[in-house]
Amino acid sequence: MVRKASVEEIINHWILAGSCILLIITGYGFLFKIEPMYALFGSNMTMKIVHNWTGVVFSASLFATLFNYLHEALTYDADDWAWIKMGGGYLSKKQTVAPPMGRFNTGQKLYYLVILLAGIVISASGFSIWLVQGNRSLTLASHLMHNMAFVLFVMAVPAHAYLGTLANPGLLRIMINGTVPLEVAKKRYPKWMKEIGKM
Amino acid sequence: MSTIKENRKALLISPELCIGCRGCQTACKSWNQLPGQKTINYGTMQNPPDLTPVSFNIIRYSEVPSDTNPVRWLFVSRRCMHCGDAGCMKICPAPGAIYRTKEGAVAYDKDKCIGCKLCVAGCPFDVPRYDAQGKISKCHLCYDRIADGLSPACAKTCPSGAIRFGDRDALIDSAKKAGYAKVYGEADLTGLGALYAFKDAPKIYGMNENPAIAESVIFWNTVLKPLAVIGLGGIVAGALLHYVTIGPHKDADEEVKKP
Repeated sequence: MVRKASVEEIINHWILAGSCILLIITGYGFLFKIEPMYALFGSNMTMKIVHNWTGVVFSASLFATLFNYLHEALTYDADDWAWIKMGGGYLSKKQTVAPPMGRFNTGQKLYYLVILLAGIVISASGFSIWLVQGNRSLTLASHLMHNMAFVLFVMAVPAHAYLGTLANPGLLRIMINGTVPLEVAKKRYPKWMKEIGKM
Repeated sequence: MSTIKENRKALLISPELCIGCRGCQTACKSWNQLPGQKTINYGTMQNPPDLTPVSFNIIRYSEVPSDTNPVRWLFVSRRCMHCGDAGCMKICPAPGAIYRTKEGAVAYDKDKCIGCKLCVAGCPFDVPRYDAQGKISKCHLCYDRIADGLSPACAKTCPSGAIRFGDRDALIDSAKKAGYAKVYGEADLTGLGALYAFKDAPKIYGMNENPAIAESVIFWNTVLKPLAVIGLGGIVAGALLHYVTIGPHKDADEEVKKP
């Protein structure tokens, strides 16, 4: 067995995922004034309070990910380019030849950067709408940014969830106990295995 | 999207008839049980300086001398315009917080307001205010009075006919018959519920010549909102299609190059 995700990483990823999904659900409630959804939370006001404070949790959790993933997400080489060219191997049924990857593959690294940037935009604009008053242009700009980032999130998050579960059987295990069987790890993360001296 | 209704009511405001008594401000406070406010004299009879959470309407006072008239005072009643296409309603995320009555008034329910203040940014006329409890506060065209066939308090009390209340179409006709070629608010934002009979250019009276909902709000409403549904649906459909046609990734089907 190889430990791929630390306990802190696992807990923080669950916090990030849970808060993000709750924010998306309440976000749709706001966007389309879905009355039953407000009713589910008790009242209009309660849903707003839940959304705002979940946003605080999400922002803090997003900040914590910087220490987990940022360094690796900014490291690229020729293998990453080769990975992009073959679409990660997801686009064909045929036998594929994949470039060797580190602890995270190119798609995961790029996904992290997109979520980090969109997350910063959606958090900052959210806090601006919530806390800054009396500046009409700023509120309107924040409202626009918040909603543009929202559209990105509602597309990126389900894609990420699909790739992490149904599309890649076995990956969900990393989110639960953080471990990968050694043989699987050697095949999937050869560069990382070499780095930590297991290959 | 709001539509103009046949029995839409409106106010017709004629600044030239206004004597600046501000009875409308007092009547509004009286009917709506709004407290007085301590203000200071800052050299004009406009008081308070702008709309507040407890002042739903004010008489805006400006001195605009012309060539023929060195002493020219303009009194303009300022309040919620009850837009046909209301920016506040469009941007408001809380169901039932801002709503349109069958008379066409843009009214609100403080219990449903979540205090997000987006309506302030969405309003082209800078009208909504927030009370001490953080809830929307503005003119609601005395929706409780007009539902019973009464005039709003301001129009009821106006002694000079500067604020008149009635069927919107009839008010526009009467203004045109009285010689006003253009009625401010006749067509803007699918028609305002506060019409103005101006003798001069609206900007002289301190009015926005072309009031409009902010472009970003229109873009959000027409593009981003549908995109939030199409995008999610597209990804879910795409994932399903991928699962069925290509199927999950199998390590056995993949040869990994040596690092």
